[in-house]
Amino acid sequence: MHRLRHLRGELPGRSHRREIRKFVTSSVFKKPGDISVKECPQVLKRGGFMITGKYLVAVSIWLPVAAALLCWLGQSYSLRNIVSYLTGIILAVCALGLFLSGPFDYQPGEIWGLSWNTAISAADFALLALILYIGWRQRHKLIIILAAIQALLLICFDFGLGGSEIEPVPAFAVDHLAIIMALIINIVGSLICIYGVKYIAEHEEQHPVAKSRQPRFMFWLIIFLGAMNGLVFANNLYWMYFFWEVTTFCSFQLIGHDQSDEAIGNACRALWMNSLGGAAFALGLVILLRYGGGDYLSMQYLLSHHTAAGATGAILLAVSMLVLAGMTKSAQLPFQSWLLGAMVAPTPVSALLHSSTMVKAGVYLILRLAPVYAGTYLSSMTAIAGAFTFLAASVLAISQSNAKRVLAYSTVANLGLIIACAGINTPTAISAAIVLIIFHAVSKGLLFLCTGYVEHEIGSRDIEAMEGLADRLPAAATIFTIGIISMFLPPFGMLVGKWAAIESAAQLPLAAFLLVLASAVTALFWLKWLGRMLEGRPGAIAQREIMDSHYIASLGGLTAAAVLLSIFIGPVVNSMVTPAVTQYYFSPGLEANLETIAAGSGGLFSVWPLFILLALIAVAAGFLYQPRKVKNPPVYLCGENAGLPESTVFMTTGENMGEVKLSNYYFTGFLNEARWSRVVNRVGLIMILLLLGVTLW
Amino acid sequence: MVKALMVVLLVVIMAPLLGGLLTGIDRVLTARMQGRVGPPVLQPFYDVLKLLGKEALAANRRQVAWALGYLVLIIASLALFCLGGDLLIIVFTMAFAAGSFVLGGFSVRSPYSHIGSQRELLQMLAYEPVLILLALGVYLQTGSFMVKDLFHQSQPLLASMPLVFIALLIVLTIKIRKSPFDLATSHHGHQELVKGITTEYSGPYLALIEVTHWYELVLLLGLAAMFWTHPLGAGILLALAAFFIEMVIDNICARLTWNWMIKFTWTGGIILCLINLGVIWVLRAGGV
Repeated sequence: MHRLRHLRGELPGRSHRREIRKFVTSSVFKKPGDISVKECPQVLKRGGFMITGKYLVAVSIWLPVAAALLCWLGQSYSLRNIVSYLTGIILAVCALGLFLSGPFDYQPGEIWGLSWNTAISAADFALLALILYIGWRQRHKLIIILAAIQALLLICFDFGLGGSEIEPVPAFAVDHLAIIMALIINIVGSLICIYGVKYIAEHEEQHPVAKSRQPRFMFWLIIFLGAMNGLVFANNLYWMYFFWEVTTFCSFQLIGHDQSDEAIGNACRALWMNSLGGAAFALGLVILLRYGGGDYLSMQYLLSHHTAAGATGAILLAVSMLVLAGMTKSAQLPFQSWLLGAMVAPTPVSALLHSSTMVKAGVYLILRLAPVYAGTYLSSMTAIAGAFTFLAASVLAISQSNAKRVLAYSTVANLGLIIACAGINTPTAISAAIVLIIFHAVSKGLLFLCTGYVEHEIGSRDIEAMEGLADRLPAAATIFTIGIISMFLPPFGMLVGKWAAIESAAQLPLAAFLLVLASAVTALFWLKWLGRMLEGRPGAIAQREIMDSHYIASLGGLTAAAVLLSIFIGPVVNSMVTPAVTQYYFSPGLEANLETIAAGSGGLFSVWPLFILLALIAVAAGFLYQPRKVKNPPVYLCGENAGLPESTVFMTTGENMGEVKLSNYYFTGFLNEARWSRVVNRVGLIMILLLLGVTLW
Repeated sequence: MVKALMVVLLVVIMAPLLGGLLTGIDRVLTARMQGRVGPPVLQPFYDVLKLLGKEALAANRRQVAWALGYLVLIIASLALFCLGGDLLIIVFTMAFAAGSFVLGGFSVRSPYSHIGSQRELLQMLAYEPVLILLALGVYLQTGSFMVKDLFHQSQPLLASMPLVFIALLIVLTIKIRKSPFDLATSHHGHQELVKGITTEYSGPYLALIEVTHWYELVLLLGLAAMFWTHPLGAGILLALAAFFIEMVIDNICARLTWNWMIKFTWTGGIILCLINLGVIWVLRAGGV
């Protein structure tokens, strides 16, 4: 505790800013701000688990590839079914194995006499050629230009600077943060794939096509997991870039799945926006290689040697390019439109993109790099840009009546919060970011899957159409209730993250202010949605609901995870979050025992009493309301009720009957989405430019 | 642990007695301001006892469950407050309680109840930032978010955070449902709203909500008392003064629209907090 207070005293102030400026302009590399950041990451364990670890990494990457091919070539529903379940189970076991084995390095050998580096290089160019071809076929200039820029940068990297000869070792470094990501990808992602098998079959029943596209769908869905695993394990940034591009390409294929004009248009938008990020990534690589040298292409080296970066701020510039790449992938303002457009895809795609893959790759990269830019203007600017996205996206979510768009804006908002935490860059903020990544993946995956299930049942994804869902689909309504509450209310994990974020934001007033406003806004759009679903006529009896086994497995699994992980957040913080923070920072930030969590800034939160009370409310409500003893009178309509007691028909003028119609407020007059999007996009663009500007300065 | 349980027990028993009494005093004073005699001071207790004896009427179980949630979560917030807990968590738990109240209103298919719930949501939107900024201010001033650490302060918070206190008064008006902000439900029936969010509650369930309002009143006045912890008596006087100001405002103001409320709190209330926090921040940075 004493040390924490000490650290707090050391954090950004005017004097240190001045020194930072000195660092950027002068040749003396000194970073006074990163007192809390370790100069050297924990040495990764070698031996022991190395053998197992090697196989676990290989399986996590190659099994999805094999499973995806099997789904594509096999063409049968039952095969896809078995493959998705088996792959899911094996991947989940692998991730748990990684969690138990702890961190390690892994350098794969050669393949048919060729180094893997060469193979990846070749694959990179092949992928870019494919994207160029797609751009040409779609007559999409931006895609062509950005792919060409990436190709030029890669040629410059590989041949101009001799990057193809340089191979930083090890290729894979599985640290604590990567393990957390692997758990999310392989458990949440697998549950989504299992759900996807059934969903896409129903989807084709509702939207018949000449030739089944289900095999293709499952191919891209499952291979996505492999690409994500590669991305989080990669230590060689050049490899990470390859996996980064693969996830971009997978999402392009998945968003365009339905082949409608809208789907293709939105897929192209996702492709060009993410190609912009890809180009920034590639530029970052070139700068690192040119000004830093080959060693800097190793993430571990970058994390441990940033304090000796040398004469110029070039390393920081490269890092800011990587942060920019992360922001495009995480759909931060002004790049949010690709993620909003992505909802034209079948719901499992949205669930996958929003919860465990794709957008999480962006925040993962930004969070990984946080120790490198700690104490710089880049860090403060990242925090403010993230916090602004959190606020703007939350406000825009209020005006939406399409459930998937509400969820999409909420994702953009929460990613903004996570990025703000990375930018605040104190141990507590970094812990908060990791907690948010974990719990957001679970809750958002759950909410998307439940929306998809409800859409198939009621034929609409509109919030207004979900009126009275509690009586029509009681199980879905219960899942929605748990999912929504777990997104922003105590004592659930997301709230713990937000709480720790605001506690640590007190260091950075502007970011703190934006977080406070945004935090108030989130409650509005969640509660008014939930309110629509809970509505019920007096004395209505809930219908029986029959759910397919795929849905029970995925929805049930994620609901249980949302609740249980929140109840046991103490152990989650201790065993997962704290090691991930202390490998790069001197203090753990959040400190937890079994039932309480303490934030470094001087707050304390007990989780269990609130959970006990919530259980108590659920039980006591049963005693307070006993259907046989309580009467269900018609609702009050100024004494003009007509018809049956449970109906809401009333007498209007001239003996006419009127039916009560209820609807949410959406404030579409004031909160006009198109107008406000333009405004916030401009602000977002300015923030991005400032972010790059402060690095150059 | 035993001590904590004793505090909680004390809160559960004493707070409604205090809250009910304050509500009774409010009714008497309000009546006097309007030139009426008014009810006996204990009238709120008589009302609740009568409601408890009435027939149980409700639309469905979730309506009752959310009302119960409102009660339990407000008690939890108050208990956390009295145990000296984390201010941010208290604010978030209060938000859950208010959200629970809103969902109770949404659980029935009644237009009045729904208007009330929508407006209550807007009220939450209006006051929530001020409460979180209040917590941030306390942190900037004391270095801790814990209420108990306020008691180690030699100087009252009021001296360093007078503008935040004024902002809290605005929040108080909204939270204890006084004019001009009695938008979601009010003490009197209104034409467009009837009883708003509580329209569809009656008998024992309405009594439950009344009692919750008493707990909430004590908690809110506690937040005001927090601004002067040494001696605590001064804080209590401060809270009572705040309560009296609320009564006066209630009686001299007409109800206003929610647009006005949002504009007023998001400009007036938040700017007051920002100026105050900014000054503290600059002073602190200057001092270091």
